[in-house]
Amino acid sequence: MIFSRGFSRISRNSFNGLCRCLLPNRSETHQFFTTNAYSQSLRDSTQKILGCREFWPTFPGSSTPRHQIHHQSTSIVEEPQDPFSLVSDELSLIADKLRAMVVAKVPKLASAAEYFFKMGVEGKRFRPTVLLLMSTALNVSIPEPPTVPEPHMRSGDALPMELRARQQCIAEVTEMIHVASLLHDDVLDDADTRRGIGSLNSVMGNKLAVLAGDFLLSRACVALASLRNTEVVSLLSTVVEHLVTGETMQMTTAADQRCSMEYYIEKTYYKTASLISNSCKAIAILAGHTTEVAMMAYDYGKNLGLAFQLIDDVLDFTGTSASLGKGSLTDIRHGIITAPILFAMEEFPQLRAVVEQGFDNPANIEIALDYLGKSNGIQRTRELARKHANLAAEAIESLPESEDEDVRRSRRALLDLTHIVITRTK
Amino acid sequence: MVVALAYVEKLKYSVSVNILNGNEPQDPFSISLVSDELSAIADQLRAMEPQDPFSLVSDELSLIADKLRAMVVSKVPELAFAAEYFFKTGVEGKRFRPTVLLLLSNALNVSIPEPPTQPKPPMRLEDYFPTELRARQQCIAEATEMIHVASLLHDDVLDDGDTRRGVDSLNSVVGNKLAVLAGDFLLSRACVALASLRNTEVFTLLSTVLEHLVTGETMQMTSAADQRCSMEYYMEKTYYKTASLISNSCKAIAILAGHTKEVEMLAFDYGKNLGLAFQLMDDVLDFTGTSASLGKGSLSDIRHGIITAPILFAMEEFPQLRAVVEQGFDNPENIEMAIDYLGKSKGIQRTRELARKHARLAAEAIECLPESDDENVRRSRRALQDLTHIVITRTK
Repeated sequence: MIFSRGFSRISRNSFNGLCRCLLPNRSETHQFFTTNAYSQSLRDSTQKILGCREFWPTFPGSSTPRHQIHHQSTSIVEEPQDPFSLVSDELSLIADKLRAMVVAKVPKLASAAEYFFKMGVEGKRFRPTVLLLMSTALNVSIPEPPTVPEPHMRSGDALPMELRARQQCIAEVTEMIHVASLLHDDVLDDADTRRGIGSLNSVMGNKLAVLAGDFLLSRACVALASLRNTEVVSLLSTVVEHLVTGETMQMTTAADQRCSMEYYIEKTYYKTASLISNSCKAIAILAGHTTEVAMMAYDYGKNLGLAFQLIDDVLDFTGTSASLGKGSLTDIRHGIITAPILFAMEEFPQLRAVVEQGFDNPANIEIALDYLGKSNGIQRTRELARKHANLAAEAIESLPESEDEDVRRSRRALLDLTHIVITRTK
Repeated sequence: MVVALAYVEKLKYSVSVNILNGNEPQDPFSISLVSDELSAIADQLRAMEPQDPFSLVSDELSLIADKLRAMVVSKVPELAFAAEYFFKTGVEGKRFRPTVLLLLSNALNVSIPEPPTQPKPPMRLEDYFPTELRARQQCIAEATEMIHVASLLHDDVLDDGDTRRGVDSLNSVVGNKLAVLAGDFLLSRACVALASLRNTEVFTLLSTVLEHLVTGETMQMTSAADQRCSMEYYMEKTYYKTASLISNSCKAIAILAGHTKEVEMLAFDYGKNLGLAFQLMDDVLDFTGTSASLGKGSLSDIRHGIITAPILFAMEEFPQLRAVVEQGFDNPENIEMAIDYLGKSKGIQRTRELARKHARLAAEAIECLPESDDENVRRSRRALQDLTHIVITRTK
């Protein structure tokens, strides 16, 4: 429902965009576009015809208009605009800033801290993408001005950064906190690989990995403080606490807690969703929005995060190790009981006995997978993920209206993400 | 001193007894003068009485300790062992850092004149409720201790190659994970506590402290040969590892109280010099103290290959010692040789002198604080100065 509505908006706007660029050849364009690309896009829900204007500057002007149209349409059809590319330039900027922010005076510490910020291993940069899109999506005029810096700021302090730079800072801080938690998690999990390369602890030792994580956390805190907004500082500090709580819940659970779906969702909120939900909220707060809008941003992040994790759980059973980078069945091999197994246990109580025995014995893994296959565990997990994805999409739908093209485009991208998280295969 | 006070008291008493007995002294006017003077002298003597700086704030500290212990244990029972680590005591069995911070809070409890040029800022909560300020300063003491313990826990994380003698590898592994988790738990609590103060300058300061702790530890872990033999590198590492925490939290105390930049820097200087003096004496005691009193075992620095001030000074007198240092101290014979050179050199004395210099600088910082007639303020400042004496005369 949501997507077809979004669709008509997409095609209408891109059509307008194309027309604007192709004025001299309108008739040809119109015909080509409506018969070919338009119908194509209607068929395939994942193809996007966003931002056609952006395509034009990338083409050398030498080709004839007809050639251009053909080429352009091919591009439109074969290279759908994806949400990540909407913000890719800004992401590069942020990546550069991040690399500068984690420089340390001690060389060993510097190489440890920079490890996951190097080119090529930044990951998909999912969180910063969401936050930058959210920043644009919330770029509407507000009755009240944005929150002013604290009154105890002394004279002589620099002028407050403009809003976009401050929101970018949230994206940087979020990424630093995220990587810091990854570094510590890898030590706790004895992980060998991360993001396709050796984990930092396996390459440079546990202690340096732990210290590097602390270092990143301290830098994140300093950057956060520079925003001079104590509400945002509190919010992200709570996230740090949640990450630890989630990890503790995962490591030290008693048997009945491990078999509880409620406990699992709570742990998943702390470990995965809290970071993205609270940083989305922080974006809204910096922009000076009302509590209602801040909560919508929060709800988007939370539900997106939960959907993401639930599919992650599914993929850990169904995906290939090449695509995951972690190796499949990692959760169960580490004795981490995720949603599919929890659902399967509701149908097959016998599975609980196997779970309580633990999974050091590979035979138990086989048995568990067997029950899982017989059960609706995977399907129910996917359904739950879809439910959260829809809730996230609804949150975006509820945002205050805007006619601005950039705002609308970013909101569409955020909606697309709710679709991508549940249809991805890696 | 106690004897002198008793004498004065006796004198006062005998004077007043004479008046009561109707034995009028020659000059009534002079009696009251004298009795006033005697009172003044008695006050002064009382003021000069040695006091135990730690006992001045021990009640407050117990409150803080109980609060922290309860919080850690109830929230995450598995991390209760961290609570034990937490309440391990430092100098003379006392909680050194929080003591300094609470004393400093008292010492800075003076009314602050309005700066003429700045517009008057809106009244803050702590202006209405002075006890609110106290609670906030206590929060700094708590957060500081949490950051300190967290860094100790993380510093103890072992690499796969390291195994503690006598401890089986499984315990090391389990211990490792709990150490990481417990440290993270404490850091996150410190983070939230500091955020609750709603003061970004303080938040930045203490975040920087965490960075410094990590930097200092990494400097110690990864130094090249010429860095390990450099006094400059050593002092820088010592600042990061030991003094930064206490100096910046002292500064934070002053910031919360709304003091000027000058007073903030005095608080910072006190903490920094006290911390450096403390560490330098620690280095000395690692050679000279007994393992029973140190609790760490003597010579633990050198056994871990950590080159401290006494050895660095000795190397200046005996360049041959440098070759031994570069060989490393896995071989116990090298330890013997180094200690031999150390004994021949002035290493220990020069370290003590340097410690004394820093202790004096700390005491001077207190002297420079804005005057106050408040008895509590004066008593706390004396206590802070006593601490500068205690850190360099302690034997454990």
